[in-house]
Amino acid sequence: MSRSVRSDVININSDEAEIIASPSDHLFGKVLDLSENGLFLVDSDRKIILWNEWMVEASSLNRGDVIGSTFVEVFPGLKGRRIESVINAALDTRTASLLSRSLNKVIFPLYFSEARDEARRIEQSVTVKPIQSDGHDYCLIQIIDVTPMVQREDVLRVLAKEAEEALQVAEEASRFKSEFTSTVSHELRTPLTSIRGSLGLIASGVMGELKPEIGRLIAIACNNTERLLFLINDILDISKIESGKMDFVMGPVDLKAVLLQSIEVNQAYGEQYEVKYHLNDVIDGTTVYADTDRLMQVLNNLLSNAAKFSPKGTEVDISVIQKDGVIRVEIKDYGNGIPVKFQSRIFEKFSQADGSDTRKIGGTGLGLSISKAIVEKMGGSIGFDTEEGIGATFYIDVSLYADV
Amino acid sequence: MLEITELQRDYITEVLNISMGSAAAVLSEMVNEEVSLSVPEVDFLQRNAAANKFDQTNAARMSGVTQSMRGALTGDALLMFPEEKTLSIVRILLGDTVPVESLTEMEQEAMCEIGNIILNAVVSSVADLLKKEIMSSLPRFIKGTGSEIFSVETCDNNDLVMFLKVDFGLESQSINGYVTLMLNVDSLHDFISQLDEQISAV
Repeated sequence: MSRSVRSDVININSDEAEIIASPSDHLFGKVLDLSENGLFLVDSDRKIILWNEWMVEASSLNRGDVIGSTFVEVFPGLKGRRIESVINAALDTRTASLLSRSLNKVIFPLYFSEARDEARRIEQSVTVKPIQSDGHDYCLIQIIDVTPMVQREDVLRVLAKEAEEALQVAEEASRFKSEFTSTVSHELRTPLTSIRGSLGLIASGVMGELKPEIGRLIAIACNNTERLLFLINDILDISKIESGKMDFVMGPVDLKAVLLQSIEVNQAYGEQYEVKYHLNDVIDGTTVYADTDRLMQVLNNLLSNAAKFSPKGTEVDISVIQKDGVIRVEIKDYGNGIPVKFQSRIFEKFSQADGSDTRKIGGTGLGLSISKAIVEKMGGSIGFDTEEGIGATFYIDVSLYADV
Repeated sequence: MLEITELQRDYITEVLNISMGSAAAVLSEMVNEEVSLSVPEVDFLQRNAAANKFDQTNAARMSGVTQSMRGALTGDALLMFPEEKTLSIVRILLGDTVPVESLTEMEQEAMCEIGNIILNAVVSSVADLLKKEIMSSLPRFIKGTGSEIFSVETCDNNDLVMFLKVDFGLESQSINGYVTLMLNVDSLHDFISQLDEQISAV
């Protein structure tokens, strides 16, 4: 039931008083009542002069209960609160204000149900705007129901927390795996080194002449021990790279000296495959920015790979090209090239072109993956060009020292 | 840049700091934590110079709150911080937040309220200085580069901007932000003459 509203009491003209008194009889009143937001208007005496249907439902207070009463009479709990001071500011200094839900957990006691159950409280975002009409000041309070937004962000909060926890678990597992791999590899390497030492002594004959059959068996044992050691060293490198524990001492490196040394180290290996290394002209004094030992490790890997995949009696060509502060080292072989279907996986761990090749060719399938990681840690890049049946060219790009 | 005397500058700073103090008190009470606000620097700059100041803050993007003003001043009032600082302010003040890289809707709304409190304080002290009324709109969240925010491309660069550095003190750290008010030439003259009148009355 609406109390009749006297326009002379509340400073509005009679037409507007009509609308406020019985909104459902007037177009603008109906519009206000159909609004999805709570709307009420306070005059300069802090008396409520408009109260839309949304407010009636959410507050369980009828128009007759509130119109003509002051804001504080209707909401005694809000006396002295921020909402009261911003309403005063709107009326006194014509300032507009926003009360966000996050910084004002409880603004108005408004509920989705008449039972005023705390769980059914409406989450609110409130705007307070000054209005002037016919020389009078008013303050319009709009209440927007942000409950769905709050619920959405609560879900988001839970999901983000779960994702963070899952990430922690995954990181923990990954760290454990790296530590486990590195510990096991160390533990394997120690006894294996002494096995290789002992077998080496036996094979060399210092412990006495060996029968040929025993000599052949010892040679097999030696070779396989060697292979296991390579594998373990590669696994150790990979786990160091993955756990970020591989240290780099970056500085100027004389490229020609490193290339010559790497060729020398691989000479004997090349001879096994009847392959020769050929170094094309390198400008003396070409200095790159790298870690000497790690660069050497990468070159050794590329040179030994090239020999391994070259036909007997061919050469491996090594060239150095300088362009715009970048030095490219190219290692070209004349083997079968890299099969198209393998090209995308070539730098992955434990990958070799054909599983069946492994035994014949030897190697762990870790070398290129390690080389790629090392070159990238040094700020460079690695890649290849190949044509099946013609050969393959692997290259690494590193920075010229002067340009760093 | 408009030259103002040391005395004028001190007077403006003083007036602004008083209103900043009350804005800080409101914020402190809302978040139950000590918040301090002060204005250590006041400048009058051309629009493009103000944009350059933002672009020199080492933050590619700024974000914050804008309100438009009507009355004795017509234009925009802005409170801006480097984007990641806005994130820290809201998250320090709200405590419990969603750990995502940009502000959520609710957090933007909270930032709007923080900006609203600070900008209302600045605008009302300028209105007091002018002895005139300035009405401002509700706050809106914005972000962008200095040039985007000041519409350097499309607006007259001779417009002047009152450029305030603001120290936002929170949890023993101080976050630097900026409040800017666009001023038209007439209101600027009014502002300076009112200022002189009030200074001589002191």
